[in-house]
Amino acid sequence: MIVDAATAERIGLDWLRAALAPVGAFGRRHDEQVAPYGPGDEDAARAEIVRVVAAAASLDPHGVARVRAALRAVPEPTPIVARARVGDPLGDVDFYELGRLVDALDAFARAWDGAGGAPEGRPPRLDALRAVLAPGRAQAGFYLADAFGAGLRAARQAYAIAQADLERRQAALAAEVRAICGVDAVGEEFVVLRDAYAGPLPAGVHVVRETPTYRLVSLALIAPERDAALTALSEEEERARRALAERVAAHAEPIAAATRALGALDRFLARVAFAQRWSGCVPEFGADVAFDQATFAPLAEALAARGRRYTPLSLALANVAVLTGPNMGGKSAALATTGFLAACVALGAPPPARSLRLPLFAQIAWVGGDGPAERARLLSSYAAEVVRAREVLGVAGPRALVLIDEFARTTGPREGKALLIAFLEAVRARGAFALCATHFDAIAEAAGVAHLRIAGVRDELLTSIDARDLDAALDAINAAMDYRVVAAHESRAASDALALAALLGVDPALVARARELYGP
Amino acid sequence: MSSSTFTSAAESLYALATSAARSVVVVGTAKNAGKTTTCNALRAIAYRRGVPVALTSIGRDGEPADALDGEAKPRVRLAAGTLVALAAGVVPRTPALEILETGASGALGATVFARAVLPTVCEIAGPPTAGAMRATIDRLCALGAGPVLVDGAIDRVAALAGGDDAVIVATGAASGTTVARVAAAAADVVARLTIPGRDPVNERARVVLLAGALDARDAEALLADAAGATVVVEDPTRIAIRGALLARVRAVVDLRCERPLRVVACTTSPVGRETTLAPRALVEAVARATGLPTFDVVADLVA
Repeated sequence: MIVDAATAERIGLDWLRAALAPVGAFGRRHDEQVAPYGPGDEDAARAEIVRVVAAAASLDPHGVARVRAALRAVPEPTPIVARARVGDPLGDVDFYELGRLVDALDAFARAWDGAGGAPEGRPPRLDALRAVLAPGRAQAGFYLADAFGAGLRAARQAYAIAQADLERRQAALAAEVRAICGVDAVGEEFVVLRDAYAGPLPAGVHVVRETPTYRLVSLALIAPERDAALTALSEEEERARRALAERVAAHAEPIAAATRALGALDRFLARVAFAQRWSGCVPEFGADVAFDQATFAPLAEALAARGRRYTPLSLALANVAVLTGPNMGGKSAALATTGFLAACVALGAPPPARSLRLPLFAQIAWVGGDGPAERARLLSSYAAEVVRAREVLGVAGPRALVLIDEFARTTGPREGKALLIAFLEAVRARGAFALCATHFDAIAEAAGVAHLRIAGVRDELLTSIDARDLDAALDAINAAMDYRVVAAHESRAASDALALAALLGVDPALVARARELYGP
Repeated sequence: MSSSTFTSAAESLYALATSAARSVVVVGTAKNAGKTTTCNALRAIAYRRGVPVALTSIGRDGEPADALDGEAKPRVRLAAGTLVALAAGVVPRTPALEILETGASGALGATVFARAVLPTVCEIAGPPTAGAMRATIDRLCALGAGPVLVDGAIDRVAALAGGDDAVIVATGAASGTTVARVAAAAADVVARLTIPGRDPVNERARVVLLAGALDARDAEALLADAAGATVVVEDPTRIAIRGALLARVRAVVDLRCERPLRVVACTTSPVGRETTLAPRALVEAVARATGLPTFDVVADLVA
């Protein structure tokens, strides 16, 4: 599905992608490899959405949140396993991270069961890898335990004995230094002041530097046995790590399968959470667009944040239609909702509607408004719109959805209206689906397309409104507005602009004068 | 001198620093001023007392040789049982450490919390950000029973301001070519790091809150316009003026900080790469100049 940045912003696609974003690295990687559904993918899209809707109904939403939190905590094993497979040395931190992966998968499985997930949907556990790492995982951490190498225990014992012997010799020498020189030699190097002690130093103490007032001396003892034991220990530990890395590499495929499953589950759960939040439906695929009680979720969320209620929309679009209606009646929202629902289906998310029928689109394009910000700075509003319309016509085809929001409103009304009619005729000729919001009169008839309108302001409510401030006025308009999309039988595009201006606090005398000028 | 009554400089310093703090941060007045030597001395005393310590670093310490001049540097020694927080990229391979958990990630990998099972030497690269240092110290405290020793850096110690950490200022021949110069440099650092915290009861009528650093231009403005006022900076490391200018500002305004540091002592190192200073004269001069108990853990001197 091709959607440019300006359209993505208008139809809430950016918001939708964020809402459906996986929480973990696996899910993000999985998402990058999955293309949106397009024409021909109907069965796959439907199958995914059916699964999501079923899971949304059966899983506990709090449990889903906990499972997603558990997903976020799963460490990334892919680079470690890749290194193990090519024979690169692994370190103890790598083995620790693999242990964390095993634990995280177990925690994840528990969270999945706690959320009521079906056993067949639970991601695989890595019990065999757990067994491989078990000797080093007495606690939650990791230690290259003696059991990982046949010679490790002996090498460690030899090193410990040699090191202890060295420390004993150092302690004895330090005690001698303390007794003879009066200095507590806590480090390898220390200073013997000449005014405190100027006599001969104990055997084993080496002078590093001499000055008129002191001697800097060292207790560093030669310890060939300890050094040899350390070298032997190093060889044993590296041998054990190599062997352990080979065993890890043997589990590369189960680990990769687990991460793939987690990635797919991450994507799936993002959609489940979305469906639980917005009550999505399973769409039907057909040759027209029709939805009932649909929610443009980004707007609903923004309204909810301001304590306002969103009114769901219903609409039917056979191919190309003009949508008229009052200002503030939701024409642009209807366009955005249409695009948003199509985007939901393309991304495998249940569209937030009671029902939806549509084709899968190859392209969604928005025409109207300023267009891309950079272009808006370079071109006039009209020029930007026209250039945009030209581009959309260049690519619009039978599987395109074109959403046209008050196109040509920035030029003279006669020419603008003519241009809009011609544009709609061209869109229709290309077989594209299009919904066009406008305040121009008689566009639908002239272009030979359907005419829909927002039902509009309920006059009986409008006259009873006594708005004290802007918030109250907006509440009142919301209450008075009938947001239903209905078939229009008149050619005139009523806008209720003057009544709304009065409600929004414009000077009553000014509004009265406007009514006078407007006529009956 | 009887060994039963003998209390060395390192022992006295350890007792002072750990008496009222879970963590001890050693900062240096210059590169190679003796931070790691001081940390190693504190660790040695803890080991002698059978106290398990934890180690970490603000920055990178304990590498075999100085990255700039290639000179040998003191290694960080871990006794068995020592806890350490270090970057994954510098975890020693032999003898193996017990990996306990991992934390914030930086250029050298995640911060690894580990325990030495056998004695070893290692390099320590601490948490990637100043902000992560507080969390690292807290985590080390939670994982272990003993004090946390931090090989620190003055320019990154701000993250610890406002805590109860004990700060030790390490100075020595690396800071100057004469005893007087080293003492003056130490006094300058200590004067900045010991700027007291706010005292609401005795605060002046006018309080000036300074966002960011207190630099020379701010100082001139304060001297011209804020005489007698209480001037508050975020923490002592925000004070970018020093010497006579800092002294003048402190004489004219009541300089305070929101999050003070608790500097408890200085250490001196008479041995520099190219200079050696008289140990006793140095330790006494630094003690006089800073007004802090001062220890030379190499020459075993206290002043």
